[in-house]
Amino acid sequence: MDVSAMIPELLSALPLTLAITFTAIVVGFCLALVASTLRIRRVPVISNLVDLYVSYARSVPVVLQLFVAFYGLPLLVALFGAADFFSPNVAAMVGLSLYHGGYLSEVMRPAYLAVDRGQHDAADSLGYTFRQKIFRIVGPQAIHIGLPGYGNSIIYLIHNVALVMYIGAADVMATAHLIMERDYNQYQFETYLVLAVIYALMCLIAWLIIRFFELRSPMQAPEATATTQIKHALISNA
Amino acid sequence: MLELKDVKLSYGNTQVLNGVNLSVKRGDVVSIIGPSGTGKTTLLKCINYLVKPASGTIVFDQIRMDYQRADKAAIQAIRLRTAMVFQQFNVFKNMTVLQNVMDPLVVVQRKSTDEAREIALRELERVGLSDKRDSYPSQLSGGQLQRTGIARALAVRPDVMLFDEPTSSLDPELVGEVLKVIKDVTSSGITSLLVTHEMQFARNISSRIVFMDRGVVAADGSPAEIFDAPSSPRLAQFLQSELAFQ
Repeated sequence: MDVSAMIPELLSALPLTLAITFTAIVVGFCLALVASTLRIRRVPVISNLVDLYVSYARSVPVVLQLFVAFYGLPLLVALFGAADFFSPNVAAMVGLSLYHGGYLSEVMRPAYLAVDRGQHDAADSLGYTFRQKIFRIVGPQAIHIGLPGYGNSIIYLIHNVALVMYIGAADVMATAHLIMERDYNQYQFETYLVLAVIYALMCLIAWLIIRFFELRSPMQAPEATATTQIKHALISNA
Repeated sequence: MLELKDVKLSYGNTQVLNGVNLSVKRGDVVSIIGPSGTGKTTLLKCINYLVKPASGTIVFDQIRMDYQRADKAAIQAIRLRTAMVFQQFNVFKNMTVLQNVMDPLVVVQRKSTDEAREIALRELERVGLSDKRDSYPSQLSGGQLQRTGIARALAVRPDVMLFDEPTSSLDPELVGEVLKVIKDVTSSGITSLLVTHEMQFARNISSRIVFMDRGVVAADGSPAEIFDAPSSPRLAQFLQSELAFQ
């Protein structure tokens, strides 16, 4: 099989892969924000339940979390009479969002706690309200601290999206397997190689975006512009 | 103007403040001295409620607050009338020097950006940092950071300045530039409370010296009374060791 014929077929599954990834990124971010807030502020009972959720998301293998979502979700949606809503793709989005949210909350929480106590004191002493303090002082600093960890969590998420084929979602990995089986497994190496390039490119783009924001941070000493630094980083990586 | 009555505070099992009484008149420059761990910084932080005393009362002109029934409005009112300079500078790391000084004026005091900028530039000139206004804290020396902290505190036009060991984290060669600025501030007539281990400096700039020991005010008097005629052997011993070190 010609590799150039294989690529468009693989790429046809890319929109679904990206849709699952983006859904997990957005929903996971919201979940992580709520989870880390509740874990920092310690609301009785609710914070303990959130601890349990984070522990589940971090300690259960992702593939197992996907199976739990795949088999558990139909039971849940049936309760609300929305069984038609269920599909492997939805299960993949739910499973990965829950995983990513729990994992990411343990990036956000330490980042918030790593902001020097003195920054809180200075803002409090000047009369900043809690909201002003978070949005203007502590938040921007926590984002700067948490960005590298956030970048890692996005890359792990992209890797873990490859597992959704085990619950029947037709992402690029599942499509690659279909192509290989159709061709009697003659071109496994070539197919996996193309797949590797697709994943590497996805991760590279994610890394570049995160790096761009890292370098734009005001806490980064502005010796060179963000664009120049990204160029240098790319050259050194290459 | 400012009065603290029977303030008590403990960190876990450690009693830090054992019933502190202190009153400050308008225009006073009060230096608080004493051995490390006697609650000097904690006392200062009780004034703007950065720590929560277990009991006691604070009276700040018309504002009166019982620490056991602290209310947000009173805390905010006191915070808006005081400004603190920290031992570790605590300059906002995500802002330039100018933004550090401007931000509280715009965000807390709701001043226009132009007015805030004007005030900030004036205060930065006063502390000799006009040329560093666009620098970030990571690009400044300790002395410059502390002068930024002082400019930020001055810009909010506080009734009382609280200096918490402003030179303790500085290299010896940077201490002078900060002391010069503090001297300039205190001589302008602004009421100030200064926690310090710089004995000679405290003697020169203060109208009163308060000696704290084991969580209480152990001596309180003019610089001459405290330094020339220590009222207790404990104070005499402390002064001897501090002055010998310096």
